[in-house]
Amino acid sequence: MAESSSTIRASVVARPPAFRSLGWSALLTLPMALWALLMFTPVFRGAGHDRQIAAALTIAFTTVLFFLMMRTGETYRWRRIFFVAVGFLFPIGFIASLIAERGSMSIPLSRMVAGDTPFCFMVTPSLILPAAFARTVIFPGAIMPSATNPHSIALMIGLWFAMTLVLGKAWCSYACFFGGIEEGFAAIPKRRRLHRFVTKYGAILRLIPWAILVFVVLASAALFEPVYCMWMCPFKTVTEFPAVRNVETAVQFGVFIALFFGLVVALPLLTKKRTQCGFFCPFGAFQSIFNKINLFEIRFDREKCVDCTLCQTNCPTVALSKESIKEGKTLLNCMKCGACVDVCKKDAAVWHLKGTPVAVKPERARLLFLYGAWAMATMFGGSILANSIVTMIHWIPGK
Amino acid sequence: MRARFLSILAYVGAGITLLVAVCVPFVLINGFSNVVGSLGLHLNPEYTGGTVARTIQRDGYRIEVYQPVRPRMLQRTEPFVQIAFEPADALPAHVSEDIDLNGDGRPDVRVSFAVLADANAKMHGDVTALDGRYVSLVNVADESFSRMVVRADNRVVVRVPVR
Repeated sequence: MAESSSTIRASVVARPPAFRSLGWSALLTLPMALWALLMFTPVFRGAGHDRQIAAALTIAFTTVLFFLMMRTGETYRWRRIFFVAVGFLFPIGFIASLIAERGSMSIPLSRMVAGDTPFCFMVTPSLILPAAFARTVIFPGAIMPSATNPHSIALMIGLWFAMTLVLGKAWCSYACFFGGIEEGFAAIPKRRRLHRFVTKYGAILRLIPWAILVFVVLASAALFEPVYCMWMCPFKTVTEFPAVRNVETAVQFGVFIALFFGLVVALPLLTKKRTQCGFFCPFGAFQSIFNKINLFEIRFDREKCVDCTLCQTNCPTVALSKESIKEGKTLLNCMKCGACVDVCKKDAAVWHLKGTPVAVKPERARLLFLYGAWAMATMFGGSILANSIVTMIHWIPGK
Repeated sequence: MRARFLSILAYVGAGITLLVAVCVPFVLINGFSNVVGSLGLHLNPEYTGGTVARTIQRDGYRIEVYQPVRPRMLQRTEPFVQIAFEPADALPAHVSEDIDLNGDGRPDVRVSFAVLADANAKMHGDVTALDGRYVSLVNVADESFSRMVVRADNRVVVRVPVR
């Protein structure tokens, strides 16, 4: 069980490069290529050349990554490229649209009063109690889509719920456009630091998002305001935030920046973990509940497992403990990124369809999961990528 | 036998999950959105100003006087009344109106502000309380949800704190 430094340093590359033949890989990729084309068909029918170029690049990007998943048998590495691209490009498109619309990243009270705040799914758990008991939505947006606010509350909740039925907690590794930012920073260092601390206190650290979830849900209901958005969201730093107009809003802005650079930049660079996702995000904790109704999971074949804990070391969100591995399971907060499966040298970590025998046809379970997950990623993340590419095309001189 | 039955059930479930995935962009997003929209939820009055109590018609524009919004539970916003002048582009260059907020026939506040040509420019205005139940505001812009004179789309929204 002892972890050598070489084990700790091991990266998520374990499989041979050719897991499947070119022909089979292409054949298995074909449905996803057609899906991506279908998602962007309206763009090719009437949008401008900039949007068509962006759509073509996005289709090529998502299709190639899926092909590589099929060809190499690895999931994590190729998913991470997509996820990090979405994470880093989302703020570009979003901030550009804010600057074009209102000239600033800050949202003044006048825009909140006008119902022009785009809805963010992170606030969803905070809405439940006020909606249930007072039929009131405590978010300054529009309930139904309007000309000035297409990202309405009903639309975004509908989108989140539909995708959650498919993804469960895998939302956090295939759909969340914030998680890619810290996954990107976590990918940079070669060596992980604070590993002993994270392992020793993992059980406590894992509970923090649940505690924050309970706090923001109750505090939001009591204060009748989205407490997480107003005070705790690190990603306000790269999206939008209440305009600084007094001491309170200045403190809020300071908190956003401190949380962003602490949890999303510094700690992932030190630990190679998604620290905001694993140790802070209340929406991630909320999303974990949906793992219970999702059919796909990661399991461990105890006959093959040698308890090397390489999977635990490489898990980006501390969703594994020695005890859970001994039981052949992940913890509830597993986001099905595939890091543990890809890194396992004994093929003990496997994709699994609940109700079927463990480690029997795990590739079939992986494929069934990936088709649904990648379809959602292409639809949601793909549109974010395309939008941001359009923004960057407009930056080219002469465009 | 039971294991086989469970396996079949699991693969049927996986097939349904894939079917759901295919339906998400075409049916489910709008379907679930409509369900949320039909729940009869309303936005927090702190953002919308609440319910319109009555409308005062002026030459070319109208003034909507809202019912007072009072904080719930531990809500930090002080009580306020919203007054909305719309359409903003039909307002005179300078507005100064005595407005009856509680419908007793006597003016409660005098609201005055300059309508700027630039719709995105920050507005400022004054509210003079003519009744002790309301709070006067001097050169107010967007101090808080209960103290503001702002342009929101094609409306000028004024919020007056209530004691």
